Amino acid sequence: MAEELTSQSYEQPAPKEQAQEESIPGVITTTSREINEFLKKTKIQDILNWGRKNSLWFMSQPMGCCGVELIVAGVAPMDTDRFGIIPRNSPRQADVMIISGYVTRKYFPALKRLWDQMPSPKWVFCVGDCSISGGPFYESYSTVQNIDEIFPIDVFVPGCPPRPEAIIQGFVEIQKKIETKKDRGSGYEG
Amino acid sequence: MKVDTMEAEKIIDSLNAKFPDTISDSQIESEKRISAYAEAGSIVEICRYLKDELQFDHLSSETAVDLILKDEIEVVYHLSSFGQPLVLKLKARLPRNNPEIESITSVYWDANWYEREAYELFGVQYRNHPNLRNLVLPDELLGDWPLRKDYEDFPQKTAKNLV
Amino acid sequence: MDTNIGPDEMLIHMGPHHIAQPGPFRLNVKLKGETVQDSDVEMGFIHKGIEKILESKTYLQGIPVVDRACYLAALTNEEAFVGCVEKLAGIEPTERSQYIRVIVEELSRIQSHLLGYGEYTEFIGFMTMFFYPMTVREKILDLLEMTTGARITHSYLRFGGVRDDLPEGFEAKCKEAFALLRRGLEEWGELMKSDTIYRERTVGVGVLTPDTAKEMGVTGPPLRATGVDFDIRKDEPYLVYDDLDFKVCTETAGDVYARIWVRVAEIYESMYIIEQALDQMPSGPLFPENLPYDRRAPVMRVPEGEVFHRVEDPRGEMGMYMVSDGSDKPYRVKIRGPVFPTMQAMPPLIKDSQLADVVAIVGSLDPCVSEADR
Repeated sequence: MAEELTSQSYEQPAPKEQAQEESIPGVITTTSREINEFLKKTKIQDILNWGRKNSLWFMSQPMGCCGVELIVAGVAPMDTDRFGIIPRNSPRQADVMIISGYVTRKYFPALKRLWDQMPSPKWVFCVGDCSISGGPFYESYSTVQNIDEIFPIDVFVPGCPPRPEAIIQGFVEIQKKIETKKDRGSGYEG
Repeated sequence: MKVDTMEAEKIIDSLNAKFPDTISDSQIESEKRISAYAEAGSIVEICRYLKDELQFDHLSSETAVDLILKDEIEVVYHLSSFGQPLVLKLKARLPRNNPEIESITSVYWDANWYEREAYELFGVQYRNHPNLRNLVLPDELLGDWPLRKDYEDFPQKTAKNLV
Repeated sequence: MDTNIGPDEMLIHMGPHHIAQPGPFRLNVKLKGETVQDSDVEMGFIHKGIEKILESKTYLQGIPVVDRACYLAALTNEEAFVGCVEKLAGIEPTERSQYIRVIVEELSRIQSHLLGYGEYTEFIGFMTMFFYPMTVREKILDLLEMTTGARITHSYLRFGGVRDDLPEGFEAKCKEAFALLRRGLEEWGELMKSDTIYRERTVGVGVLTPDTAKEMGVTGPPLRATGVDFDIRKDEPYLVYDDLDFKVCTETAGDVYARIWVRVAEIYESMYIIEQALDQMPSGPLFPENLPYDRRAPVMRVPEGEVFHRVEDPRGEMGMYMVSDGSDKPYRVKIRGPVFPTMQAMPPLIKDSQLADVVAIVGSLDPCVSEADR
């Protein structure tokens, strides 16, 4: 029984070949991607952006020293909930990934997999000096430097570690960027 | 709790009496610190004697030091006790191109992870260790022995956004 | 751990990104139903190589780096490092500096215990007890920030003394914060003693006996909760701890409930130590007269030798072994973190317990994973 289960391959079934659409008179077919591209140029996108920026849910993963300030930013007296920002633990339920701290070579594949699992639109922002340049450990054999060449980062919050108020300011900057359509996360061209 | 030098001297005398050939150069460094050199081949017997007879029941740390100028790697043990505030430092010298020593996990249970760490950072091979593999390093860095003095990939110069 | 699983068993990887873990490490558990048969700990996800970095920085540059080894209680790391160098170079800090160091280190211990026990109650679902201590912790961090300039990683100690004196108004603010903390601790103590669900989840769970704890090398509050009184501040007093009067807090049950009470009792003792130190502190200079180096010079040579210095961290016994070869950079520094043997003791402790208890046991040991990985 166990052998039968493992011998089945778990790949997705091969996509059906794109048959030539027989044009049924009066029906237009399209994909959701085209709808998305169309809406980006209209005013409806402003309403979508207003909804997105006022409820940014972040994935909480304290990795380094900055992780402690991230936890403190979520509780009283520096509450993030008044901006609509709450921590979620699963990547499938989050909008924002926060890289708080240094990334080591052992942890990096797990981080990449978490980023790939998040559904778009998604944003990422960096907290602390270690993710900007390497921080006090920029010479080490075990940390990965230059994270901004791998992820499309929107906001950098410098400090070692930054105060919780600075992290909240980082969220406010992302909100401003989303409103004026200048963020790298949603994939606007130009 | 103050320990007097009589107590430290008694410990050194009993060690010297029991192991005349394998313990050498034992001295009292300061109040509450004594040190000695041990032969690498009989380290397990010495540790068992210290734990059973002289009540040194706590292994504070076990590590290695790379002495590249003398072509040696030294393994350093710090043994202390929950009852008396005294720390004994034991050192064993190993040749640098083939550092092998017996593991003391049969005497001290918590030496397991300390020895794994000394193995992956310095290359010290421990015989009869239950599970000798890498602890903190990723798999691709095993075999490079990063903490030796002639490791080439340090310091890294790839960081770009430095001010 | 044997990864072959039988017909009724399941292998689960908890981590490194997990909701109920106080830091990134991977815990592989083999389950039969809900009972844990075997487990294994994998570490190294936040290994930064501090020991190699310290070999390429001068002694003064090493103080901010060693601060970040355990960032939850940074001042005890600095005390171990600075204490080693002072022993090698033969420097004795002045009395006023020693009292100031005791005060800030005890404040650091209070905020670390509040964070540790707040996070642990969050993991088992008792969210109210997470928010109350964190608000009071802000007042303690305000005191630390007034003195040292930073909230977490302070870089405050120097060889022979401290960087700056205590600011004006420190005593009054301290008394205010302690009054708030005492009132809070009484309320939370009542909550914890009377809540039935909390007691069901914690009493009798994860029991350690004194002999097993000594055999496994566990130190700190988990060891004191089994009845062994081992505290470096009493056995090997450093700074002015032998002039101050305090007691070592122990409990006898050895389970999760007892470990939390040891931490609460230590908060009371730390407040008492700080009040005594503020009364007894003499006035005087911060640095001794005959320092062997100029305090503002960036390069300081330390004579040859080796030393092993131990201090009492909030999580146990912290030691630092330093080898110096006479130049201005250390030759080898080994940091012995208190959490390294405690994490080794996790697999035997969680054997034969339910999966939901694993979270409670791991949280009550209060591991700071950064200290184990370095």
